[in-house]
Amino acid sequence: MPPTAPPSPTPATGSRRLQTVPALLAQIWDEALDPGYAAAAARRTAGAQRPVRRWLGTALALGLVGVLLAAAIVQANAAKPAVVQQRLDLISRIQTQTKRYDATVAALAAAQAQVDRLKSDALAASGTGTGLDAQLRTLSVASADVAVSGPGLRLTMDDAATPGPGAAGDPALGRVLDRDLQMAVNGLWAAGAEAVSINGQRLTALSAIRSAGDAILVDYRPLARPYVVLAIGDPQTIQADFAAGAAGQGLRTLQETYGVQYTVSGADMLTLPAAAVDLRYARTKGGLS
Amino acid sequence: MIAALGLVVGIVLGLLLHPVVPLWMQPYLPIAVVAALDAVFGAVRASLDGVFDDKVFVISFVSNVLVAALIVFLGDQLGVGSQLSTGVIVVLSVRIFSNVAAIRRQLFGA
Repeated sequence: MPPTAPPSPTPATGSRRLQTVPALLAQIWDEALDPGYAAAAARRTAGAQRPVRRWLGTALALGLVGVLLAAAIVQANAAKPAVVQQRLDLISRIQTQTKRYDATVAALAAAQAQVDRLKSDALAASGTGTGLDAQLRTLSVASADVAVSGPGLRLTMDDAATPGPGAAGDPALGRVLDRDLQMAVNGLWAAGAEAVSINGQRLTALSAIRSAGDAILVDYRPLARPYVVLAIGDPQTIQADFAAGAAGQGLRTLQETYGVQYTVSGADMLTLPAAAVDLRYARTKGGLS
Repeated sequence: MIAALGLVVGIVLGLLLHPVVPLWMQPYLPIAVVAALDAVFGAVRASLDGVFDDKVFVISFVSNVLVAALIVFLGDQLGVGSQLSTGVIVVLSVRIFSNVAAIRRQLFGA
């Protein structure tokens, strides 16, 4: 188009095509070119003035556009690794704290074992002490205060590999939940288990099995799949009693409906660690402290 | 052309210098960039139409960027920042498309 005739801001083909769209969008489309250009061209024609090309301003403005563009792209790309970095930092902090917790628990268990040994040595020195020592041992096992070993049962649970019919629409339904573990553990106690642990965490009367987000926590420690529940009890009866109880039926239902995997097997020799029982408020009334 | 050279130099400078964008400016930068691109495509179309005017271009570029950022800023203050951003992006991209269509017709006659 010649510079002497300012072009109409409405290209004929454009407006015909856009007659059906709302007037506002059509107007935006038609006035895409800043009317200022047409006005400036008209002024130049009217004044019969040669357009003065000042490329410096244009080049500077375009340079600014380039800087803005590059800054925005760099910015958008830099924001992503920052989020990833933050996440990695959090994960490493969690792992460090978990390791420290593990070390502290191990140190506590060692100190506890030493205390127990000294205690039983002291008790064995006197006549009444030997009876007391036996009672203490029984109570320690029941309260998960010492590591124990014996025959029993191993229950392994894991999320569904292939979701069952009940979990067809939502694979999250095929996951092992804190409730499922609670049910299994309660079933084991009911079947005569004398000591129970989940993934190496000994359960006490104070243990909590709960969930936070997608993770299952036992005493505030997150568990990783698969979930291995060890129970020490009468090897002749515990497996049958567990399978016949409500928990056994519940597990079968979970497997049939949601595809949750579990296996139960007997074990001749299991070793369960001691639990770190932390009593802050409960005090004994005289006697053994 | 000097103008195209300016754009290239600007991009290279921006990539090399890594200008630190102040935190308060970060939400408005993408909108400002789209507004600047709108001004650039308008200028290309105008120069193909033979009506390019550097004063109009510089003024339209600066005001486009400022107004786009101001609208989003106001929207943020009123709690409709994301909706207004969407609106600004829609309007600007419609204009960019329209200008690019005109440039295409000029260049390729199709």
